[in-house]
Amino acid sequence: MAASFASKCSRVGRSLLGGLGNNLSGLQSASNEVVGNNVWSQQQRTFIQMRTVLKVVDNSGAKKVMCIQALKGKKGARLGDTIVASVKEAMPNGKVKKGKVVYGVVVRAAMQRGRCDGSEVKFDDNAVVLVDKQGQPIGTRVFGPVPHELRNKKHVKILTLAKHIA
Amino acid sequence: MQSFIGGSIRLGQRHGFYSWSGAHFKANRAYLATNNSSSLIHGSDNSINSSRNHLLQSLGTRLGSQTKELMLPGCSGGCSMPGLSQLAAMMSTCSSRSMTTAASPTPDSSQSVTDVPPRIKFKRLDKTAKHIMQILDKEAVEEVKAQREIPDIKPGNIVQLRVEVPENKRRVSTIKGIVIARRNAGLNTTFRLRRMVAGVGVESLFPLYSPNIKEIKVLDKKTVRRAKLYYLRDKMNALR
Repeated sequence: MAASFASKCSRVGRSLLGGLGNNLSGLQSASNEVVGNNVWSQQQRTFIQMRTVLKVVDNSGAKKVMCIQALKGKKGARLGDTIVASVKEAMPNGKVKKGKVVYGVVVRAAMQRGRCDGSEVKFDDNAVVLVDKQGQPIGTRVFGPVPHELRNKKHVKILTLAKHIA
Repeated sequence: MQSFIGGSIRLGQRHGFYSWSGAHFKANRAYLATNNSSSLIHGSDNSINSSRNHLLQSLGTRLGSQTKELMLPGCSGGCSMPGLSQLAAMMSTCSSRSMTTAASPTPDSSQSVTDVPPRIKFKRLDKTAKHIMQILDKEAVEEVKAQREIPDIKPGNIVQLRVEVPENKRRVSTIKGIVIARRNAGLNTTFRLRRMVAGVGVESLFPLYSPNIKEIKVLDKKTVRRAKLYYLRDKMNALR
């Protein structure tokens, strides 16, 4: 009873609260909910937290990283935030090797991010660009689109490397 | 709060101070319950006669929405428009019901009773107050519609937008995608657009009446049998 009501709330409030309705929905630990489980709830995408596997979209050598820590935010990282990650899968000859602990900037998130004009944007996957401690990208190319939010977070270098700004 | 009272007093002059005080106090007990309001009313007694002529000239002869719009420049700063519109709505109902004893122009009120624009129906005061937000919402929507040409956007049609993104140094970008959802909520009607950007699917949600959307053009229509096309997320439609 409470769960169905809560998920109804999550459906209505999903676009309004921009993901902060996580507490209301009661699906705290699930980042992907199976569609068809509950007829009222859509897929409630949540934050990027510990153990989230992300795609790497630069040419630093890594292919997949797993998030260890979201540097800002109690619940997790969102679009444009920095995370600490561990490299799970890497290309054989690259700048980073498997098992290395790196920093990354989230450039694509499946959770919607609200903009100041009332619009929202969400991508189809979670992707990250590896950076060093100062915030400079390790790789030299960035694939795929990046959002405008990076400009406010002062990741101008990544924006210049990107081919498409969503 | 004080400026609101100031605006309300000027509106009161329109229909005669006596009738206004009787009906208005009853209706707006919440607003005028503070001490501030009473002192303000006494204080502005002096300015009533001086501002009356100015008011009568500027207001014109018709009530309804036109009065509201005219009241805006004359009103003191800080008055919110919804408050004024609400008051004007109440004022017109007051005038239609009560007799004015002051020397306000009675031909105006009688004309207003018959010539009120039909799109706002004035019921009894408390009945109007119940869906006042709905009335205000509709007015706001019509205002935006009159200003900009906004086509009808239904799910399934392919749409091209010219948006001005505030985070991107005011650069107008064109966005082309398929509308997968539309949520009607008065002024906050939003629609979701899904598009493929450089191999990655991107969904954006836009308020339909946002001033940032400079132009909307419907390119194509797809026949769909659904209002929300979320199944397209799994389908991975190629090339858009």
